[in-house]
Amino acid sequence: MELDELKGLINQKLMEGSPNMTENNFTDLLKGKASSVISKIKKSLWFEIACCALVVPLFIGIALFSSHSSLKIYFGLFGAIFIPFTLIFFYLLKKINEFDQSVLPIKENLYQLIKMLEDFTRRYFQFNMALLPICFLLALYLGYNEKEPIEILDNLINKFKVTKSIYIGFIIGYSIAMVVGLIYLTKWYIRKLYGKYIDQLKLLLAELKED
Amino acid sequence: MDYKEKDFIQLLNQNQKIIHKVCNLYMNWQEDKEDLFQEITLQAWKAYSQFRGEAKFSTWLYRVALNTAITFFRKDKKNAFIDTVSEMPELTVPMDRDPIEDKTKAMYEAIAALSKIDKAIVMLYLEDYSYAEISEIIGITANNIAVKMNRIKVKLREATLKNFERI
Repeated sequence: MELDELKGLINQKLMEGSPNMTENNFTDLLKGKASSVISKIKKSLWFEIACCALVVPLFIGIALFSSHSSLKIYFGLFGAIFIPFTLIFFYLLKKINEFDQSVLPIKENLYQLIKMLEDFTRRYFQFNMALLPICFLLALYLGYNEKEPIEILDNLINKFKVTKSIYIGFIIGYSIAMVVGLIYLTKWYIRKLYGKYIDQLKLLLAELKED
Repeated sequence: MDYKEKDFIQLLNQNQKIIHKVCNLYMNWQEDKEDLFQEITLQAWKAYSQFRGEAKFSTWLYRVALNTAITFFRKDKKNAFIDTVSEMPELTVPMDRDPIEDKTKAMYEAIAALSKIDKAIVMLYLEDYSYAEISEIIGITANNIAVKMNRIKVKLREATLKNFERI
């Protein structure tokens, strides 16, 4: 039972049950929405760009017009960091659009797709991680400069007789847990979104390694 | 509709067999086949502006269709099952069985169980593309295609025999 013997019949079987599409059917299909991973990433990038476009002027406005120096620094820094990231997102979008319109050989297509997904996930991770130290250090700075007493915290400190060393220990422990937790959470989230897909693509690419 | 879109739809309509074949080979469920059909159509439309006519439209469409099918994954568990309902082994054996039809069915099931890359190579081979042409579409050397094709043929022969005994 050889493939060559059954070529014609297999070709026929591959067409079994296929409806005959008309030009109108194709016109309708062109109005539909794509569901590929590339279109998913494009949507995600447009969402990030829209958020940046909204946040940058807002944050810079707060930084310029706020009378509190801590708020000026906090929002000014955030506003500034969003600008290069907006440019990076635009760059990624441009690369993805170029890729989306190209028709490469299968091996090259897989290679480029993997590279693009890894680039995207790396930038996404960097973006989230870049915000982490700024958030954290500025929160400490703002908290330290807070003049108004926070009753609940004061009561807790008095009730449990929290000493200065316990307090500092708690802050350090909390900071480490938060940073490690957020790193793992972000990694887990990115992996959940694209990790399995990248692994599957890598397996396919490995299959095309020259013997 | 502009003339470019009209041209594209005409060409697609004339070559729709290619998309149907790819969808039937790569997807097992009707709903998935329809989704992939739409995805290939949209992908071809997006890339059409870059089509310069250096290659035949059918070859170009094969490239688009196979690239789309290979990178198209379904999240649900339906794909865990290889066969479609129509390809499930029959429980009752009809009296007037056609051995050629059974052989074809056994071979078809064997092809359906191949990896996505091997399916692409087989599909182009079935369309009588030369190893050099297949190598251009897949992106590896023609020698490598020949080696892979030989391995695939052996794999298919063994799997077809097993499937044929089962049928």
